[in-house]
Amino acid sequence: MSKPLSLALAFIMGSTALSPVLAEDVVNVAIIGEPDTLDPMVSTKDIVSIVTQHIVETLYTFDENWAVAPLLAKDMPTISADGKVYDIPLRTGITFQDGSSLDSADVVASLERWLKVASRGKTVADKVQSVEANGPDAIRITMSEPYAPLLSLLAFSNSAAAIYPEEIVKDAGDTLPKVVGTGPYEVAEHVPDQYLQLVKFDGFVPREDPASGWAGKRGQVPGEIRFVPVPDPNTRVEGLLSGQFDFADGLPAESYDRIAASDVAEPLLLQPFGWPVWAINHKDGLLTDLKIRQALQAALPFDDMLFAAFGDDKFFKTDGAMYPEGWAYYTDAGTELYNQNDPAKAKALLEEAGYDGTPLRILTSRQYEFHYKMAEVAKQALEAAGFTVQMDVVDWATLGQRRNDPALWDIYITHSPFLPEPALTDMWFPTSRIGWNDPVEVELGKQFTTETDPAKRKEIFAKMQAENYKDVGFIKVGNFNALEGQAKALKGVEPSPWPFFWNASKE
Amino acid sequence: MKLYILKRLVGMVVVVFLVLTIAFVIVRLAPGDPAALMLGPDATPADAAELRARLGLDRPIPVQYLTFIVNALQGDLGQSLFFNRPVLSVLAERVEPTAFLALFSLAISVVIALPLGIFVAYRRGSFLDQSAVSVAMLAASVPSFWTGLVLQRYLATDLGWFPASGYGGPDATFLDRMGYLMLPSIVLGIVNSALILRFTRASMLDVLGEDYIRTARSKGMTEGRVVLRHAMKNAAIPIVTVVGLTFALLVSGAVVTERVFNIPGMGNLVVGAVLRRDYPVIQGTLVVVATLYILINLAVDLLYLVIDKRVRY
Repeated sequence: MSKPLSLALAFIMGSTALSPVLAEDVVNVAIIGEPDTLDPMVSTKDIVSIVTQHIVETLYTFDENWAVAPLLAKDMPTISADGKVYDIPLRTGITFQDGSSLDSADVVASLERWLKVASRGKTVADKVQSVEANGPDAIRITMSEPYAPLLSLLAFSNSAAAIYPEEIVKDAGDTLPKVVGTGPYEVAEHVPDQYLQLVKFDGFVPREDPASGWAGKRGQVPGEIRFVPVPDPNTRVEGLLSGQFDFADGLPAESYDRIAASDVAEPLLLQPFGWPVWAINHKDGLLTDLKIRQALQAALPFDDMLFAAFGDDKFFKTDGAMYPEGWAYYTDAGTELYNQNDPAKAKALLEEAGYDGTPLRILTSRQYEFHYKMAEVAKQALEAAGFTVQMDVVDWATLGQRRNDPALWDIYITHSPFLPEPALTDMWFPTSRIGWNDPVEVELGKQFTTETDPAKRKEIFAKMQAENYKDVGFIKVGNFNALEGQAKALKGVEPSPWPFFWNASKE
Repeated sequence: MKLYILKRLVGMVVVVFLVLTIAFVIVRLAPGDPAALMLGPDATPADAAELRARLGLDRPIPVQYLTFIVNALQGDLGQSLFFNRPVLSVLAERVEPTAFLALFSLAISVVIALPLGIFVAYRRGSFLDQSAVSVAMLAASVPSFWTGLVLQRYLATDLGWFPASGYGGPDATFLDRMGYLMLPSIVLGIVNSALILRFTRASMLDVLGEDYIRTARSKGMTEGRVVLRHAMKNAAIPIVTVVGLTFALLVSGAVVTERVFNIPGMGNLVVGAVLRRDYPVIQGTLVVVATLYILINLAVDLLYLVIDKRVRY
C-alpha cells in the first residue's frame, strides 16, 4: 500500500485499529515529567529516583518499615564501638550492565564521587575520613566523628550513593559518560519527552531474602517497563482511564471519584505522603525576630489552610507532629503550639515585638496549586492578626532562584515527602538555606547525628521537635496524601513517593 | 520576481536577526535559575552556583550574547541545558509530530470550511447560512484546550476510538504515530475551520454580487460553473491568505493542544523549555518558528501569482 493511501486510510478508519494494545509483559507508567538525568547521584528530584532505582543500586535501601536493609551490601555493617568505623561486606557474583563484575574498587570510586558531587554526599563529606577497599569484597568507611544518619544517606534513592563501575565513575565529575548499574532493568531506548524503555537486565542477580519495601528480592517480573513523561495531570488521568497506562503518578485529588468509579482503573491513596512546609528566613528580614515568628505561628489557621489546599479530608490531616503516628519518630512534643489559630495572641506578640507594619513577604508558586491556596487563606488570617502581607507569586523556576537570596523573602512554601530519617531534612541544621541557628537546636542536632542508639535518638528528636515549635524554626502545615492510580489488572505495586515496578504483574 | 524574492529573503535575514536578539533578551529577563531546577529541591545554593558556572551561565550577558550570535550565524543554536544535546538536533526530533499535526489539522479545516463557506454564501440568509455562521462563531470562541479535553474524555477515554495521548511507544510504526495525531488534528481542525469558513463566506459574498457573475449567468452558464469557476477563482486570494496564515500558526506550535494530548512537538518542547529555563532551546525554537513563519508567508505571496495572473511583483 502506498504511504499516502495508508495515511488516508488511517485517517478515515479512525484509530480503533491503532489504539494501544498493551502486551501483558509491559508495564506502562505515566510519570509527571522527563527526568533531568539518569544519574541519581547528581539530582535530588523524586522523578529521577523513581526511574533510576530500576537501573542502578545502592549499598543499602529501605524495607517496608523504613528500616535500612542491605542491597548491594551483603549484610548490615559492623560498626566499631566508637561509632566511627563501618565495615561493609559486599555481595559477590554481581555484574554491571556492561558485563564487568562488582568489587570493592567500584564501590570506593562511586562513594568518593558521591561525596564530591551529590548534594547529600556533600553534607557528610567533612565527616568522612576515608573510604577504602578492605579486600575485593568489602569496604571500610572511617568517620572523623560518629554520624548516625550515614546508613540512611547510603540507602536513599535521592541524591543517591549509586554504585557504578570504577572505569566509568573514576574521572567522571558531574557528568557520567554512561549510566551503568547493577539494577534489574537496563535502558533499551530513551526518546526524551516520549518514553524511556527499560528491559530486563539478563545478568541481574536478585537478593534471596523475601521482598520487603525496596529491600529483598527484586523479582524482575515485567519484561519491560516504559516510563512515559506526561506533564499534564489531566492527561495522566485520561491515559489511565483509557487503559493506555497501567500506573499513573501524581494525579489531581479531584479525579479520585472518577477513577474509583472506573471499570479499568483504581485509585491508590498514598497516606500519608508528606508535609507542606513554610520555610522561614532566619538570615535576614522580619522573621529574625522570635516574637514575630511566634506571632506568625499563633495566627496561622492550619486546619483552614489544609482544607483550602486539599478540599477533602481524604487528602489531609491536621497534625503537628513531624512524623505521622505509627512512624518511628512520631512524637507530640511541643505540638500544643500547633494550630493555635489565635489572632489575639498573635496581635499581642506583634505589639510586644514593636512590629511596624513591614510587609511579611510570602514567596510561593502556583506550580503546586496547594501551596498557593494555603497561602491565600493564611494571608487573611495574618492580616486579621495585624500583619501586612505581601504575596510574591512566581513560577517554580523563579522561586527556586529567589529563595537562594535571603534578602528577597521572609517565607517560602515548599513540601516534602516523609523521609525515613529526620537528618535527611536539612532545615533542622544551621547550614541549610533557611539558616536556623538556634543554639539549643544546633546542640540537639549534633547529639542527634552522633547518637547511634535508636531509642536515645527518638528522645533527642522529641526535644528537637519541641524546640522547633518553641523557636519557630520552620512550620509544618500538616500531613497530606497523594493520589496515584493503577489499572485494575496491575498487581504487586504499592503506593509510594518512589513507586517501583520490578515485582509488578498484570492479570 | 527574482528581485522581489531576493528582497524578501534579505528582509527575512533582518527579521531573524531581530528575533535572535529579542529571544536572547526575553529569556534572560525572566527570573529563574536553570541550574537550581535541574538539581532539584534539596540542592544547595553552592551546588546551583557550581552548575551555573559549568553551563557558562555565570559569564557576563554581553559575552553570552556575542557567543550566541556568532554561533547562530554559523548555524549552531547552542546546546540544550536540559537535554545536553545540540538545540538543532532536539528541534529536528520535534518537527515530525508538529508538521503532520499542522497538515492534518489544516486538511480537516479546509475540508470542513471551504465547501461549507461556498455553499452558505451561495444560500445567503438561509437557515443553513445562519446556523453555519453561529456554529463557526462558537467554534472560534471556545478555547482549543476545552474542546481538546472534552473530546479526549468522550472519544478517547469513554469510547476508545482514539488513543488518549502521546505519540506511540518504541514499537509504534509511522502509521501508528499518525493515529495518535488524529484526535488532536480534529480538535485543531474544528477550531481553525471557523476562521476559514467565515473568510470563505465573506469573500464569496463579495464576488457573487459582482457584474461579471450576473453576466456569466445571463450567458446561460450552470450555477455550478458560475460559482466554482468564476466566483471561486476571484475569491481565492483572501482564502489562500487565511489558509496560509492558519498553517503558519499551526506550524509555529499548537502549544496548548500538544500539551493536552502530550504530543512531543515543538509547542510542547517550548513550554517545557520555558518551565525548565532551557535558554538555548527557547531561543532556538523562536528563531526556527520565525523563519518558518516568514517562509510560509512568502510561499503564500508567491501563490498569488498562480491564482491571479494580474498580480505582478
